[in-house]
Amino acid sequence: MRELERKSRAAFDQSVDSLDAATRSRLTRARAAALEKLRHQRPAWSSTWLPAGAAAAAALVAVMVWQGDEPAAPRAGPAQIALEDLDIVAGLEDLEMFDEDEEFYAWAADEASEGVG
Amino acid sequence: MTRSATLSAALPHGGSGDTARETIVDQGRALERFLAGIERRAFRIARIALRDRAEAEDAVQDAMIRLVRSYGGHPEEEWRPLFYRILRNRITDQQRRQKVRSAVMAWWPGHDSDEAALDPVESAADPGNRPDQELEGAELLARIEEALAGLSSRQREAFLFRNFEGLDVAQTALAMGCSEGSVKTHYFRALQALQRVLGELK
Repeated sequence: MRELERKSRAAFDQSVDSLDAATRSRLTRARAAALEKLRHQRPAWSSTWLPAGAAAAAALVAVMVWQGDEPAAPRAGPAQIALEDLDIVAGLEDLEMFDEDEEFYAWAADEASEGVG
Repeated sequence: MTRSATLSAALPHGGSGDTARETIVDQGRALERFLAGIERRAFRIARIALRDRAEAEDAVQDAMIRLVRSYGGHPEEEWRPLFYRILRNRITDQQRRQKVRSAVMAWWPGHDSDEAALDPVESAADPGNRPDQELEGAELLARIEEALAGLSSRQREAFLFRNFEGLDVAQTALAMGCSEGSVKTHYFRALQALQRVLGELK
């Protein structure tokens, strides 16, 4: 299986390297179009609402301190994903394996010992 | 004018606006580097999954826009799996549309059922400077693409993300929206199936 992985990856890399100029050009334009979105985007804290937002945040902290509560830190990171990207999570997983599959366990152990992924 | 310079000129100057402008310019530079480094591989993956050049380009552009708009403020190390998650969702939506379109067209008089099949000439890589080696690689990739088409969508995704894109198990799990155990399962099944179809690679 290692040989299959290695050769298929090499063939894919080669196809990426030899992508035609027209496609590369269209991808560059697509990237530029995507980055244009940043021009119309401002961090919330930089807007004209900054003073009002700061005052509201200060008031909130004051109330929390006064009540002696620890604010619950919002969990940032990979788990924080837009709702529209969660459709797959709702789907049922195809859990067809693990049971009595010696070949899989051998492969998984091999993966772990080689430090892959 | 460079992209960063364009961004810089477009943003307000003075006071807190300067800090905001610098933040956005820095973010723009980082996003541009990231997208430039990933766009060709992402296109090839979308092309293999969708089997259509124009749809693959649209999918990659949409994924770029979504990443910039919704996740540009996330830490850079999260961009890659998030980008592929967005692209994966976009590909899935497009595949659903393709199925509906095929079902409708099947009822259309004179419809050629092979119309959507992969064009081997169009899908072949540009031969470039080393024709023999690259042709061999292109032929191998064409065989792999045909074999991938016979896998379940989850197995195909696991193979595309793990093997072709080189995402690790955790990143692939995020991109596919499933557990790491499922990623290992689907990837292993994909390898088994491909080996059965392709046999020993020369």
